[in-house]
Amino acid sequence: MADLRRFRGNSEGISSRFTSAPESEVSGLPASQSGGLPASQLTELVAEGPSTGGQLVLARLLETTRVARQRLALIDAADGFAPEAVPPDTLKHLVWVRCRALADALTVADVLVRDGNYAVVVLDLRGVADRALKKQSATAWHRLHRVVENEAPAVLVLTPCPLVPSVPWRLVLRTPHGLASRRLTQEKLLAQLTVEIARGHSTQAVAERAG
Amino acid sequence: MKFCVLWVPDFRLHALRRSDATLAGRAAALITGEGRKATIAEASPEAKGVTPGLAVTLAMAQCPGIILRPRDPAAEVEAQRILIAAAFSLSPRVEATAAGCCTVDLQGADAVRTEAQMRICIRELAKAGLPTRIGAAATPLLANMAAQCAEPLLIVTDTRNFLSPLPLSFAAPTAAQTEILSGWGIRTLGDLTALSKADIAQRLGTEGVTLWERAAGETASVLRHVEPSRTFEAEWEYEPPVESIEPLFFRLRAFAERIAVELRAAQLVAEELTLTLFLEDESDYRRSFRLPEANADLDSWLRVLDSHLETVRTAARVARVRLVAKPIRAPEKQGGLFDTGLRDPAAFWENLARVSAIVGEGRVGTPLLTDTHKPDTFVLVKPTELVPAPAEPPIHPPRGLRLRRFRPPWPAQVELAEHRPTAIESAQLRGAIRAIAGPWHVSGEWWKPKAWAVETWHVELREGGVYQLAHTGDGWRVEGVLD
Repeated sequence: MADLRRFRGNSEGISSRFTSAPESEVSGLPASQSGGLPASQLTELVAEGPSTGGQLVLARLLETTRVARQRLALIDAADGFAPEAVPPDTLKHLVWVRCRALADALTVADVLVRDGNYAVVVLDLRGVADRALKKQSATAWHRLHRVVENEAPAVLVLTPCPLVPSVPWRLVLRTPHGLASRRLTQEKLLAQLTVEIARGHSTQAVAERAG
Repeated sequence: MKFCVLWVPDFRLHALRRSDATLAGRAAALITGEGRKATIAEASPEAKGVTPGLAVTLAMAQCPGIILRPRDPAAEVEAQRILIAAAFSLSPRVEATAAGCCTVDLQGADAVRTEAQMRICIRELAKAGLPTRIGAAATPLLANMAAQCAEPLLIVTDTRNFLSPLPLSFAAPTAAQTEILSGWGIRTLGDLTALSKADIAQRLGTEGVTLWERAAGETASVLRHVEPSRTFEAEWEYEPPVESIEPLFFRLRAFAERIAVELRAAQLVAEELTLTLFLEDESDYRRSFRLPEANADLDSWLRVLDSHLETVRTAARVARVRLVAKPIRAPEKQGGLFDTGLRDPAAFWENLARVSAIVGEGRVGTPLLTDTHKPDTFVLVKPTELVPAPAEPPIHPPRGLRLRRFRPPWPAQVELAEHRPTAIESAQLRGAIRAIAGPWHVSGEWWKPKAWAVETWHVELREGGVYQLAHTGDGWRVEGVLD
């Protein structure tokens, strides 16, 4: 009995042995009512200008998934991720795909979302030429929607402008930070992020200050 | 059981079908002889009414549309190699008895495990286009007879009961012996062995004794062992050269099947596959695929090859193809009970290989910072199967926005006032600077001819946005945005 009790005590550890469908929390983002990225759905995060905090959110997502020991795939369409900008330990669960073209990034997203080993798939389209983004047919996005619906990972699409049609959640970062922010900790900066929910399942567009 | 025989009925025809994609699922036959004397040697089950020995003209009348082919020695060699490789997975003592037939010495092998392995062999060979029968018994001859009766596996435990009902032809009597014995009313091996060996010797001589011993399964022979394959490669010459992917992939599949079986029999796995296409214009196209996870899994190899071949364009037709697998010992490991592992390791590594084929080699992996202060210096390493426990949070929490790089950096013209930037102008970005921090100086490798030194500034533009500027000997550039 004592052994059984010990085993039951460890059951949380056993359940965390394999990655499971995530509710990947990114504090500071009202990504959904549950407070995290919704699994089996696309979430679009629009960073409308420079220094609006898109990379800060990505860094936070890396940290939270690292603590949960979940695997994160970053499909970097413009090859902009700077590994030296985050603590080295938060890179250990990351699979970084350095793409050369937008079409490649979408193909890779299709492959990795189906994979089943990733808790979060981030498709970063910032830095891709506007013309290429606008030329992208809606069919590709609808296809990605269908794939995501049938799979477990949460998919975050980082874009410079609203791009993904019929996306369940679109969050917009509009307020740029200044140079003075360099003295603030990440926690304070995230708390100051102004996130606008431009599209959601049950809420009309509202602007709210997280934290 | 001390011996077993792996036997492929209609081996030459199956070997041919493995090498010719056009024969798949169609009525086909192998012919022997030339001109009017040509006859059917082996026929596929689809060729209804066509039997060995039938004249070619009659076969064509019997089965319109039948495809007739002569023997293909190269295809037979390839098929024989896969059969031998499968035999080596049962025991290291293998004899290549005949085309499509291998005898394996199983003495000392565990019976239960060997039987399970035999079933695996049958399945693998059938998948590779060689429907194989395996017979196991106390002597090689008995095992051979058992293989001919097997559907597809027969293990003989009671020799007498097994042999008794078999027709006399199983003991391979001469024509004269057949005539004499049929005159005596002897039709089966049991009928023959019911007579005493001495009586047979008296009437049929020493040849009769040999026949009786064969009928009783008493003949023992010494196996001539063959060496297992030490190289894991295959090569094929196309005549005529090919220009589409289908025949190429069909051939590579057959190669991969054989090499995978050879590797598994040698308890090895492939670390790397090298594909070489020899072109008609005497140039060649060579590509090595480092497998994300060393394995001998046919399907994962085919996915890697298929993903790559879809993107290959060559200047001329392909005249010859070669596939080489680089072998290593299979890694063995056991994960911890509470480690966070992969749900589907095979899919994980295969998908990484596919992604690598899409974006290019060396562009997928886990970033690892190198031991230098030089900006933007890292390597991409193979992701770990287990996500390790997180380290303690850093004592000094990270501050400020995070850099997102522009690769390559944007060359820029920078206006200076009192050695400090006041405005930027580049093709992508321009504006007056409102606030500035820096400079930070880093340099290194001063002992090398190409020493590097960078002066870095963070600047906030009046229109908004914080950028990282770098000044080197090559001038100013915008390295990225702090976001």
